[in-house]
Amino acid sequence: MEGASYARMPRVKIRELKDDYAKFELRDTDASIANALRRVMIAEVPTIAIDLVEIEVNSSVLNDEFIAHRLGLIPLTSERAMSMRFSRDCDACDGDGQCEFCSVEFHLRVKCMTDQTLDVSSKDLYSSDHSVVPVDFSDPAATDSSENRGVIIVKLRRGQELRLRAIARKGIGKDHAKWSPAATVTFMYEPEIHINEDLMETLTLEEKREWVDSSPTRVFDIDPVTQQVMVVDSEAYSYDDEVIKKAEAMGKPGLVEIIAKQDSFIFTVESTGAIKASQLVLNAIEILKQKLDAVRLSEDTVEADDQFGELGAHMRGG
Amino acid sequence: MNAPDRYERFVVPEGTKKVSYERDTKIINAASFTVEREEHTIGNILRMQLHRDPNVLFAGYKLPHPLQYKIIVRIHTTSQSSPMQAYNQSINDLDRELDHLKNAFEAEMLKFSRDY
Ligand SMILES: [Zn+2]
Repeated sequence: MEGASYARMPRVKIRELKDDYAKFELRDTDASIANALRRVMIAEVPTIAIDLVEIEVNSSVLNDEFIAHRLGLIPLTSERAMSMRFSRDCDACDGDGQCEFCSVEFHLRVKCMTDQTLDVSSKDLYSSDHSVVPVDFSDPAATDSSENRGVIIVKLRRGQELRLRAIARKGIGKDHAKWSPAATVTFMYEPEIHINEDLMETLTLEEKREWVDSSPTRVFDIDPVTQQVMVVDSEAYSYDDEVIKKAEAMGKPGLVEIIAKQDSFIFTVESTGAIKASQLVLNAIEILKQKLDAVRLSEDTVEADDQFGELGAHMRGG
Repeated sequence: MNAPDRYERFVVPEGTKKVSYERDTKIINAASFTVEREEHTIGNILRMQLHRDPNVLFAGYKLPHPLQYKIIVRIHTTSQSSPMQAYNQSINDLDRELDHLKNAFEAEMLKFSRDY
């Protein structure tokens, strides 16, 4: 059966797109693909994060490992990550994380000289690579630059000092959550809601109101003019079955039918800022393709089986 | 610490094959594929894609143990196909779907940046 293909051709519709947020519809595929994309976005799309810390001076109230951990969790801009090497398979260095192909160096030197508490933040980290820097969370619309603070690392009082060198490396969320580019990735089945209009008209306005209000989320409402029950936001439905139970309790089973469409998904993607949300989706597709390529059968496995097949056919008297 | 290294979960050890194949000794056109350092992400999409192939009589996968970082994909086909053919076909089809998805998403991004 050469040439036969059972591949699907999914459709996409983007509803909302911001640097760190994306909402889109994915149709004509199944939950396995939707879930694989979600899992890859969370655990397998690479980013860059601080992985090695060498502390020179630390007279702050936090111990060395506490600070090293906090440094690791700071999101770094990671557009470079897809083309970078993992330290463990970098041949330019011995994986000690000192080369430009697999690592980025950071320096931090802060000392408090006043009676005013000094905040040490991600803004105090100096990078050896201008493309890999702590994510800027400041609101671009805000004109007040004094509000432009980074991620706080530690607070220092007079005389306390923090001096360190840190190496950031490429990694994935499966190794450590600090490398995950995803703040949240979720998908839901698109609900399809059918109201039995004839049965609905047997309800009084008061009963309709009662039924509409039985939903914990605002899915239905009553048209003020026609007094008909209508769906105002089908996606607000959280598959809680409340309206269905209510209809049964009112002696009107089948008043509404709600189906989760098995081939339509609504995705919500929030990024940590390490990469753009749209890039996160595209990188996940790319990584999934690479994973599939890695699980292809090797040439020698196929050959070994061909020989086995001949032997088997021979033994079966073929 | 008495715990496996974290990288054990996704780095295939040297000298180990990523995919190994074993024919069923009793049933013709049935086989198991052992895929090292993979889990539900790959296992489930392969299984579901195999179900779309009319020559596949059975397709399933299992993650034998959370500390054994491998999955086992079992395939039984009709005589019109073979487990190996079905396995390869499912990967090709998934690859095609993802190519299409990538293009669809990029086209939407372009459209979105123009429209809004
Ligand atoms: Zn290197």
